[in-house]
Amino acid sequence: MEIILETNNLEKKYKGFRALNNTNIHIEKGAIYGLIGKNGAGKTTLIRIICGLQEPTNGSYIIYGKSNNSNDIISARKRMGAIIETPSIYGEMTARDNLIEQYKLVGMPSFGGIDDLLKLVGLEDTGKKKAKNFSLGMKQRLGIAIALANNPDFLILDEPINGLDPQGIIEIRELILKLNKERRITILISSHYLDELSKIATHYGFLDNGSIIKEISSEDLMKKMEHKIELKVSNPKDFVKYFEENKISYEVIDNKTINVYGKYNLSKFINELSKKNLIADDIHEQEESLENYYMNLIGGGKND
Amino acid sequence: MIKLLNAGFTRLRKNKLFWLLTIFSVGLAIFMACLGYSDMNKYGRTIEVEQLMFNYSTMIGVVIAIFTSLFLGVEYSDGTMRNKISIGHKRIDIYLSNLIIVTITSLFSYILFLGTVSAIGIPLFGSTTIGFPTLIKLLGCIFVAIIAYASIFTFISMLISNKTISSIVNIMLAFGMIIYSLTFLNFLSMPEYVPEYIMENGQMITKEVKNPYYLTGLKRDVIELSVDINPAGQMGQIVGGMASNLKLLPIYSLGIIVVFTGAGLVLFKKKELK
Repeated sequence: MEIILETNNLEKKYKGFRALNNTNIHIEKGAIYGLIGKNGAGKTTLIRIICGLQEPTNGSYIIYGKSNNSNDIISARKRMGAIIETPSIYGEMTARDNLIEQYKLVGMPSFGGIDDLLKLVGLEDTGKKKAKNFSLGMKQRLGIAIALANNPDFLILDEPINGLDPQGIIEIRELILKLNKERRITILISSHYLDELSKIATHYGFLDNGSIIKEISSEDLMKKMEHKIELKVSNPKDFVKYFEENKISYEVIDNKTINVYGKYNLSKFINELSKKNLIADDIHEQEESLENYYMNLIGGGKND
Repeated sequence: MIKLLNAGFTRLRKNKLFWLLTIFSVGLAIFMACLGYSDMNKYGRTIEVEQLMFNYSTMIGVVIAIFTSLFLGVEYSDGTMRNKISIGHKRIDIYLSNLIIVTITSLFSYILFLGTVSAIGIPLFGSTTIGFPTLIKLLGCIFVAIIAYASIFTFISMLISNKTISSIVNIMLAFGMIIYSLTFLNFLSMPEYVPEYIMENGQMITKEVKNPYYLTGLKRDVIELSVDINPAGQMGQIVGGMASNLKLLPIYSLGIIVVFTGAGLVLFKKKELK
């Protein structure tokens, strides 16, 4: 799979404070990459660096194969669209005028696509209303339309649902999914709303204290969050054989531990195993939420 | 750069501040011509049309400071500066395109004033009393000083991200430059000797004595140079008919343009944008 954004030990220091500390992320083409971290974890700093607003103190990053240390990074950025913290819109202009401005900035030959963009983000009926009078959700959607003006392959959205009402959150979520599925745009979305991210992300990067502590695909994460039974066994091969024959979802963690995924009646499950002379030394039943997973990753309450 | 200029001028055309500036330039010209006509009729004063043409130059620094702060300040307050960088525009291009837009708008404002005041003033007060080449030289000095003002205020507006702070700094600086130049032009224009009236043998006699406020030596040279370099000082000299070296003034202005733009480009390239 093609990696479109890769950071290598990115570090950003401010006076007496390290916002990013050896940060490494890898975003695959076509992914919706959820960057998760609490406030102050370094999400916005990372995005600012990727967008060229700030320079890293150490480390480097590569976008579409172009290193930030080469002049070609400018051409790579032309394939990107971004909303960083707040949407970049002129409050005194209408939605259409803001898009005309952006079309000129990116050098689009005609304004033909503006109506389609306004329709895509649901702002086709805003007429002469100035952007400063828009609701927060409308501003976010206009910001996304502006970020889409250059037909980007890669869209960066920094906290796009902050402050939105439930309706606004749903609209932005649906828009992001539409962009990813229909336009095949790779999306990096930062948020500290775990539930929301879990509804759209295909990959996750967990950022804490300026470092990516885990990168994981949605598939693998869901597996980890599934209802699971942890078995401590002395003869894993026999167990694996049984699970394979019976098409039971499992994962060998180490030479003594096997996780079985899925919801089973524990006593019936043990009974079935014992019929095949498969006796586990220890059995635990576990269920994990994304929140628990995240809290375990960052070390529970120690960071609160 | 062309894309940035294209977008910048589009924004300018839709900008209320720009239209206010346009109305102000025309309104000021009409007001000054009417004021001159009223003075001519009431007090029999002779109005030189070139004086009307130069008058706006004394206050244009404040006008450019206000326009630049608000027009460029929006780029930071509305977050559009971030957008320009994140979509791949070079910082050097962003800085220069903003400088060009501010410069052209400032010159446009002055030319609009000049055109209006000439259109009304020449029929009312007659043609200029100075020769055409001198008029062109003086206007040339004013235009270059306007560009110098634009480079100073663009420098400040591009480096201070907070619109309110950059507006305060620019406007205070503009007034400071005007007050400084008016104060020291006043000192520089003082005569070396002043008459002193004294009673001698019951009669009032006049004696020429050294003016204690007359500036001499190095102090005079430094102050003269500072007023010559200061665009407000240049404007003051032109309006007051005190500009002795018309060749040097635009060179000083060019120096300001090069220094402020050069420093602005270097610092803006390194600026951390939040």
